This record gives sequence, C-alpha cells and structure tokens, in this order.
Amino acid sequence: MAHQAHSYHMVDPSPWPIFGAAAALLTTSGLIMWFHYNSSMLLTLGLISMLLVMLQWWRDIVRESTFQGHHTPTVQKGLRYGMILFITSEAFFFLGFFWAFFHSSLAPTPELGGQWPPTGIKPLNPMEVPLLNTAILLASGVTVTWAHHSITEGNRKHAIHALTLTILLGFYFTALQAMEYHEAPFSIADSVYGSTFFVATGFHGLHVIIGSSFLTVCLFRLIKFHFTSDHHFGFEAAAWYWHFVDVIWLFLYMTIYWWGS
Amino acid sequence: MWRSLRSLRQISQRTISTASRRQLENRVPEKQKLFQEDNGLPVYLKGGAMDGLLYRVTMGLSVFGTGYVLYELMVASMPKKQK
Repeated sequence: MAHQAHSYHMVDPSPWPIFGAAAALLTTSGLIMWFHYNSSMLLTLGLISMLLVMLQWWRDIVRESTFQGHHTPTVQKGLRYGMILFITSEAFFFLGFFWAFFHSSLAPTPELGGQWPPTGIKPLNPMEVPLLNTAILLASGVTVTWAHHSITEGNRKHAIHALTLTILLGFYFTALQAMEYHEAPFSIADSVYGSTFFVATGFHGLHVIIGSSFLTVCLFRLIKFHFTSDHHFGFEAAAWYWHFVDVIWLFLYMTIYWWGS
Repeated sequence: MWRSLRSLRQISQRTISTASRRQLENRVPEKQKLFQEDNGLPVYLKGGAMDGLLYRVTMGLSVFGTGYVLYELMVASMPKKQK
C-alpha cells in the first residue's frame, strides 16, 4: 500500500461539492419561484438537498479526522486559517448592515420626521429584554470557555455540563428574541427603522441558531468520545463562532438598541 | 435530607442497564477499524448501506431539481402568447 511523503490530506473524490452547488441553484431559483410565481416546491427541494449535503459532507469530515486520522497538525493549521477567514467574511457581512443603519440614522430624512427613531416609532426599551439577552450571551461565552478548559483538562463530566449549559443559554436567547419579535410594536415594513432593525437582528438570530446547532453537534461528539484533550478543533471552531455571534450582539445592542432608541 | 439524596444518586447510577452502559462507553476504536478497512470504498460510502441510500436520495433530489429548474427557465423565457 502506497504511503504519502507529506502531511497534507488528499481527500477521496466526493460528490458533495457538486451536489452542494446544485442545492444552491435549487434554493436560489426556488426563491424566485416563491417570490414571483407563488410556488414553494423548488425552494423546499433546495433547502432539503442543502441540508442533506451539509449533513453528509460534515459527517465525512468527522470520519476522515476522528476515524481515519487524516487531520495532522498541518491539516489542522489549514482548518484554523479557514475558520478564521470565514468568520472574518461574516464580520464584513454584518458590517454592511451596520453601515446601512448608520447611513439612515445619523442623518434622518424629512420623511422620517427629521429624527431618529422616526416619528411614530416606539423603540424597544434597551433596559428590558435586550439587556437580559446581553447577559445571556455573555454568560454563554463564559460557559463555553469553561467547557473548553474542561476538555483540555480531561474533565469529561464538567465539559458535558458546561457545553450543555451553553446550548441551553443559546436556546433561551432565541426564545426571548422570538417573543420580542412577536410583541414588537413596529414591523419590518415600518420605514427604514423597521428594515434596519429586523434585517440586522434577524441575520444575527439566524447566526445564533447556526452557532447553537454547531455547538449541539459538538456536544454529541463530546459525549461519544470524539475529542481528546489536545485535539478537538471542531469544538474550538464552534467556540470561535459562538464568541463572534456574542460580539455581533454587543455591537447590535450598543448601536441599534441603545444609541438608536 | 442530604443522605437520602446521596442514596438516590447511588441507586440511579447503579440501575443503568447493560444496554445503556454500552452507549456510554468509548466506541471510537470500533469506528476507526470500520473506516480504516482496506475495501476500496470512498469515505462517503464506507459506513454501510445507509450511506448508499442517503447518497442516492441526495443525488435524486439534486438531479431532478436541476432538470426542473432548467424546465422552468425555458418556460419563463418563452413569451406568453396572447390572442
């Protein structure tokens, strides 16, 4: 059997990239069919195939690393670069929405009554549920760090408890935000205030759900003994992502919720 | 109160059946053996029959969906005949 003379991972040929591209095509075309032709079948098909591709692709990565041992330190370094670059790209994504918020709120037009919040808009009180949500995410940052330390120290029980607590805090945040959305006295259609508020906080909420899902997968892997005390990059990537979600919330809270009220 | 709580804890730990105790054991070595078997299978099919089923379902949905998109594109790009 031939052995490689380098520490990189030459992956087996895989169908997931092309199926993933097809799923993206179905999802985007599905959005068009939904918006313009009142049909949601293609969108549903697209989202289901996207989910299937993600599950199988990431399942294969777990197999290649934990079960086949292909993730050498060199490979792990590449994965670290990759995750950092991805999170940076997400930071730029949110930067756009913050730009939009400041564009409209620093110089409010006459149509808004020349003020921010615009005339007639009753903003949410930043000292009520939004402050609780801030405390929840900050606490979850502490618990995920506790989980990481427990993993490196080989303390299985504490790691499981801390990671579970982190995920529960994430769910609590999502539930409270959903309730706030439902009870808010303004909607996305209420001038550029509604647009900036719901698009920025909405995308953040989506990222909280993504982060919670990533952490949940890590919890299952932790329970199934996939992580060792010095090799657990999947968990580190999830923790980085979670801290990023926390930081984005802090900016949202300080600018849109507090300064903007 | 604490003594009864402690004995409750001991009892619940003792009564875990063999089946669930197997679930709490480290089964990574078994998986490592399965996925390192020299059978020429690519990693996306190496786990067993379920892998093949999932692969075919994903392929089916993607291929059917892509065909359907092309069809809808054709329909959308033809002018609607008005009499």
